[in-house]
Amino acid sequence: MNGRPEQFSVRPNELLVERLRDGLGLTGTKVGCDTGQCGTCVVRLDGRSVKSCLVLTASAAGSEVATIEGETTRGGELSGLQEALRQEHGTQCGFCTPGMVMALGELVDSTAGGEAPTEPEIREWLTGNLCRCTGYHSVVRGVQRACAAARAEAPSGVGEPAAVTASTAAGQEV
Amino acid sequence: MTTVTGEAPATGNGVLGQPLDSREDPQLLRGEATYVADIDLPGTAHMAILGSPVAHAKILSIETKAAEQLPGVLKVATAADFTDVMPLPCIWIPGGVESHFPPHPYGLPGARPVLTGDTVRHVGDPIAVVVAETPRQATAALAAIAVEYEPLPVVTRADEALAEGAPQLHEAVPGNLNAYWTCGDKDRTDAAIAEAEVTVELDLVNQRTINSPIEPRGAVGDYNAATGEYTLYASTQGPHNHRFLLSALVLGIPFNKLRVIAPTVGGSFGTKGYLYPDMALVLLLSKALGRPVKWVDTRTGLMNSTVQGRDHRQHVTLAGTRDGRITAVRCTSYANLGAYPSTIGPGVATALMGRSISGMYDIDAAFCEVYAAFTNTVSLGAQRGSGRAEAAFLMERLVDRYASEIGMDPAAVRRKNLVPKEKFPYDNGLGWTYDSGNYQLNFDKAIELSGYADMPARKAEARTRGKRLGVGLATYVAICGVGPSTRMSQEGMLGGTWESANIRVHPTGEVTVIVGSASTGQSHGTVFAQVAADELGIDPDTVQVLEGDTQKAPYGQGTYGSRSYSMAAPAVALTARKIKSKLIRAGAVFLGVPEDKVVYEGGRVYEEGNEQNTKTFAELAMSMWYGWGLPAEIEPALDETTHFDPPDFNYPFGTHVAVVEIDELTGETEVVSYTAVDDAGHIGNPKIVLGQIEGSITHGLGQALMEAAVYDEQGLLVSADLTTYALPRAADVPFFTLDKTVTPSPHNPLGAKGAGEIATVPPAAAVVNAVVDALSDLGVQHIDMPLTPEKVWRRLRGEAQ
Repeated sequence: MNGRPEQFSVRPNELLVERLRDGLGLTGTKVGCDTGQCGTCVVRLDGRSVKSCLVLTASAAGSEVATIEGETTRGGELSGLQEALRQEHGTQCGFCTPGMVMALGELVDSTAGGEAPTEPEIREWLTGNLCRCTGYHSVVRGVQRACAAARAEAPSGVGEPAAVTASTAAGQEV
Repeated sequence: MTTVTGEAPATGNGVLGQPLDSREDPQLLRGEATYVADIDLPGTAHMAILGSPVAHAKILSIETKAAEQLPGVLKVATAADFTDVMPLPCIWIPGGVESHFPPHPYGLPGARPVLTGDTVRHVGDPIAVVVAETPRQATAALAAIAVEYEPLPVVTRADEALAEGAPQLHEAVPGNLNAYWTCGDKDRTDAAIAEAEVTVELDLVNQRTINSPIEPRGAVGDYNAATGEYTLYASTQGPHNHRFLLSALVLGIPFNKLRVIAPTVGGSFGTKGYLYPDMALVLLLSKALGRPVKWVDTRTGLMNSTVQGRDHRQHVTLAGTRDGRITAVRCTSYANLGAYPSTIGPGVATALMGRSISGMYDIDAAFCEVYAAFTNTVSLGAQRGSGRAEAAFLMERLVDRYASEIGMDPAAVRRKNLVPKEKFPYDNGLGWTYDSGNYQLNFDKAIELSGYADMPARKAEARTRGKRLGVGLATYVAICGVGPSTRMSQEGMLGGTWESANIRVHPTGEVTVIVGSASTGQSHGTVFAQVAADELGIDPDTVQVLEGDTQKAPYGQGTYGSRSYSMAAPAVALTARKIKSKLIRAGAVFLGVPEDKVVYEGGRVYEEGNEQNTKTFAELAMSMWYGWGLPAEIEPALDETTHFDPPDFNYPFGTHVAVVEIDELTGETEVVSYTAVDDAGHIGNPKIVLGQIEGSITHGLGQALMEAAVYDEQGLLVSADLTTYALPRAADVPFFTLDKTVTPSPHNPLGAKGAGEIATVPPAAAVVNAVVDALSDLGVQHIDMPLTPEKVWRRLRGEAQ
């Protein structure tokens, strides 16, 4: 669990999100729906983003679980993705934000050394996460920014960082 | 490029208007913010609510014994346990309409009981509650409560509820009619329509939609037996408002015995400003059990209990000349209030909609009548852009229909009828007086930015790809800045609608701003700090902002109707000016010069012509805190409060252009570009407002394309989760092209107009106009929302609506 071993016994029907929130006090993971639709509970299981409301805790035994609490120390420096989302104000009420950070983290990590995802690819990746405040635009810009930064820092030197798409060019003035 | 038409407000250090990063964001991005569900008080018990599974029935019996004996169950309660609790009040009774419900001691009518004991009126109507040691135990015990129902006939549509022989919801409300409400001049409008060269008519359904904040609601009640005080933690847009309604009007306890705290709130868009039974229940049960009681809703629970939006069935008429001059508009609307009048639902369905129907146009005759009816559905309430979106939809559909009828370009018709800028302030004849505007400038900018002139070529090109391209325009005026208390009382609002701010300057020069408003994701902490910092000429990082706790904050109505920046922020600015004024008076003492020689600038005072004789803000703060040497007429310390009640509302406006492509084979509608030019006056933080504009447009696109609360014949909400209720996802929207014009409001010292939700107002109209444009050669004159692929596909194949 975020790099630390955790040992506990579980009811057979316990959901991973229940264990995280109620059992371990990791309340950064949110519950927004009953049907696996909203994505506020996304965590990473062995590096892959999953909806923790759809995972039985028992089935996660032996896996590495990463939650939003593991992205940074409490009050600590933001990760590259978090920083990019901050710069683009990719959050408003923030309820969907931890789930988005966990889902998008996989995308940003996976593209750090290769091609940056296109705008449609980013939007497709985000379809598992609902946001009612932002309409996603600032989040997409944040991912573009994060990917550009990750590529710039990649040791293999994959070329110049891609510019952040600014279809909302004039929007910066709004 | 931004076009400013008006004087900029006097600014201090230029911090206001800058796109500062939101100071709230880092905590949210780390998942460290505390929402209601994250609150874990020692000894907390958990509440679950049994909602009615049927839409309309008499309750013959409720048997709770089996549930009481289940493991972990602490209490099962029904209406019989709360006979001394008053029903939830409705505080917006549209002007001239009498309430049919029994009055509260404070003169307000109440209709919805905290638990229903005799008759259920919609699926989800709360009947009983269980409190248990764990949430799972509480939920499990609900199934053991046996309720015997005698079914009653069901009605879910407003027009059908008003028909002869319709099922009756409330004994006190014959014919289910809560309000017949009108505005404008009926005779003049009827005459203008009768005499008109051209008239067009439409029957419109503005479908019911569900706001769907991503955080479901929640509440924690904590009663302190030693002091007799209650604390409520709730996902609320207006903690002060809820304190007032709950203490005096529902629980019958002294105002100062209830503290309401809004923690971080996960979006609202209108729905969390309402008083719900659960808020009272957690407090009552906490007192009964001597433990904190917590309740967190589920998504399906939210959809069956939290107020829903829109829901009008309308017959609308527009009259005009053959050369494009609009002479009259008339609307007859059947509004669905749901099963009970919500806190302000009746006002949303009437005044907020009806007084806006003429939009940005200079029309000689206008009239709107609303029949607001009760049905077996969830109560109606506000929803992002509420009322104004419904108004813009009917008007903008009519204008397109009219343009088509007279064979004129829709843009040309609009341009011809915009209220000219020299006519402001403009009385729209429906009850609103628009404060300021330059509609031509705004409109022209949107037309140019959208590439409107290129659309014919783009349509032809799309056809080569098997797509039908359509372009749709929509303009709007949105009443914001609710508001002037006297004016709102004339609208039937039972309560003051002012906002207040308190500023305390600490001895070390740091500042605390405390406001009555409460954020549901609008970065108040950032923006209010900018306002205070700008006025005082200090670093915004030294300004702390507090809100959301009634024990700490001065009174205020809260965040709704895009009012925080044009109501609470002016209160902050005016309070800062009081501080500044006091510092000028005290500065005269400290500098040893007459008051008229003291200059306040850049966060310091100095002697005019002698800048060496100066004191910084921090030095002044310390001196004022010590209070040494101050004359009797100057009190020590810097602590000021302002209650801001503006002279009138403010009226943001704008023009949106949607371009859609419809796939000939599938009927799928894709929004391929969207241009919006909005005017919200002077903006405090453009980065934060940008996010609100983008989110608002996406919300409006949701109504146009996919969202609908669907009730079946039995009154079951079929779309009661996120697999059956479609919300826009990231791949459903393109980047938008956005710009603004700036026409300051004269009604507040910041020249601000509402911004947060205004861009939700026109998108539905723009998109439907675009789709109708794309299908116009098939003879399609209107198509009801949501524009699902199937619906469009059928129209492509010539089927009638």
